[in-house]
Amino acid sequence: MAKIYIDERELEVAEGTTILKAAESAGLQIPHLCYHKAFIPEGSCRMCLVEIEGLPKLELACSTQVRDGMKITTTSESVVEARKGVLECLLAEHPIDCPICDKAGECKLQDYYDEYGLFDSEFDENKEKRQKRIEIGKNLLHDQERCVLCRRCVRFLGEVTKTHELGVFQRGVRAEVSIYDGILVDNNYSGNLAEICPVGAITDKDFRFKARTWFLQSRESICPLCSRGCNIYVESHQGFSRFSLPKRVYRIRTRENQMINGFWICDKGRYDYAYLDQERLDEIRMRNSQGSVTWPEITSHIAGEIGRLYHMKRAAHIGLILQTWLTNEEFFLLDKIFRNDVNIDKISFLDPAEEASDDFLLTSERTPNKRGAKELGFDLQPADWKKFFEDVDLLFVFASPIQDGLDVGPLKEALEKIDTKILFATHNHEINSSFDIVLPMSLIAEKGGSLTNIVGSVQNFSPALDAPGECRPAWQFFIELAKKLAINFDFYNQFSSMDDVREMMKKENPFFREVH
Amino acid sequence: MIKALGNFIAIIKGSLLTTRHFMVNMWFHTLKLLRIKTKRKGAVTIQYPEEKREIASRHRSLHRLLKRDDGKPRCVACMLCVTVCPSECIFVEATEDPDPEIQKSPSSFIIDLSRCCFCGFCVEACPEDAIRMDTGQIEFAEYTRDRLIYDLEKLTE
Repeated sequence: MAKIYIDERELEVAEGTTILKAAESAGLQIPHLCYHKAFIPEGSCRMCLVEIEGLPKLELACSTQVRDGMKITTTSESVVEARKGVLECLLAEHPIDCPICDKAGECKLQDYYDEYGLFDSEFDENKEKRQKRIEIGKNLLHDQERCVLCRRCVRFLGEVTKTHELGVFQRGVRAEVSIYDGILVDNNYSGNLAEICPVGAITDKDFRFKARTWFLQSRESICPLCSRGCNIYVESHQGFSRFSLPKRVYRIRTRENQMINGFWICDKGRYDYAYLDQERLDEIRMRNSQGSVTWPEITSHIAGEIGRLYHMKRAAHIGLILQTWLTNEEFFLLDKIFRNDVNIDKISFLDPAEEASDDFLLTSERTPNKRGAKELGFDLQPADWKKFFEDVDLLFVFASPIQDGLDVGPLKEALEKIDTKILFATHNHEINSSFDIVLPMSLIAEKGGSLTNIVGSVQNFSPALDAPGECRPAWQFFIELAKKLAINFDFYNQFSSMDDVREMMKKENPFFREVH
Repeated sequence: MIKALGNFIAIIKGSLLTTRHFMVNMWFHTLKLLRIKTKRKGAVTIQYPEEKREIASRHRSLHRLLKRDDGKPRCVACMLCVTVCPSECIFVEATEDPDPEIQKSPSSFIIDLSRCCFCGFCVEACPEDAIRMDTGQIEFAEYTRDRLIYDLEKLTE
């Protein structure tokens, strides 16, 4: 351990840490553009200059390691003066086209100018004219005027994806980041480049000109598109009081979690968010019903149907088709209600087929919670559908939000022979019309709960969006249903929120006690 | 009885006041007619719809969007006016401009005048000097609210 002093604050830090990391651990911010926690420090932007007692010149905080007894000043006059100088040189070539830049609002250069700059430039020369719209990847655009040559993108492609698609060409004032001979950045993690760019040099085509960053509300969630469980921010636009917007979610950003996804998410998780807004089912649909049906009515109705079969000792004629888009708590409740109380054994899973994984984050399982279902004792093997559909009188089906990969073939034929069919759906789909009752469900981003990822890490999450229309989280319906069923009323009556269910689950199943 | 007397006195007082104003105004207007300059002026009434008052140069009237030399709107859809608008009456949607020098331009620009409070913040915030409130038009009352919603076309006229 080394004892250092930053701005007269005494700190105990491990030997070998850099000054910047030591300062950040103490909550002190040192401005930096090229430094990123994920990469080896490079020291090219010179924004992090600090004064160290006993050294004649200012030193770089990002790459200077601490020594015992080091006295560091981050706010002295010479440091501020140096930062101003660095900023002025960076801005000498920067176009300052913030009004049309998608990074404005979260741009580091903008923030630092606000903090240290607010000066008139001493440069009389005209700014160099460069290309402003180069396509460097299927989702990326590069603006060479805005680039400050921090090489974060080059280092990301070298150190993280190891695909080396970008490089710095030419030298001096002509230096520019570019692709090699028209070969585009084409890997499953390219979207991260737009996010790590400290200025607006690399921007996202998907987000281009869609919204200004300050209108977006960023809420924590977990990516449900594969079983890795990457931590994300769902960024939604709250809209204006007088004008409606075409969609809610404008962007998905990564959220740091060193245990799961580090600093990154894959392009699938980043760009395939259209399902959050498109074709959402937001009302209860019941065949042959006059007018609208409310949740309490439909819950009583379904509880009545189950109860009737249960009391006639015909519970074996109830079928349940699930998919692993449900949370741990919902599987726990399903297990309790259908297997423990009603005692059905016709439970099967209809998950989309596994797809190719990559060797980094994306897994082959395209549903978020296979492991959780397994841990709660569900058998994920696909059933023998012919045998499954024999003598089914009442069928519950949970539809997956992503229905492209779902094989509805075996379902469609069998459905015609079943008396009562109930679907829990999140989206409008052609198969919805084959069901008697269609219940609108909340998506993972719209409800709270926990998911178990492929390696068995349990992660809690809370709603990032408001559920549209009559949509409800499945767990809420399960509790209401169980109370109406009244087979084991006292057990379910103690649940009033998600946390109660979670606590009970933890108590009964030790696997879920450790949460990441 | 005393109350009625009080009322009577009040009527007399009021009449005297009106008469005084009338006489004073007549006096000054007569002097003006005779081209005698006085410090005080007689009261002036503008016969509004026929006769209009001159609008001050900084008066905030109906908005307009300025155009570039080639006729395209100057606006780059930075949405600073949308951000700053206290009554949330501006709505802008951006689109990619074919000209790489412009890059971003508005595909729709709507001002809901039924909600606008004419604070002029949008003009202050605009980095491109694309919106101004200097048309001098103050008579744009309509019979329906829909007609008070001005779009890009109406604003660039």
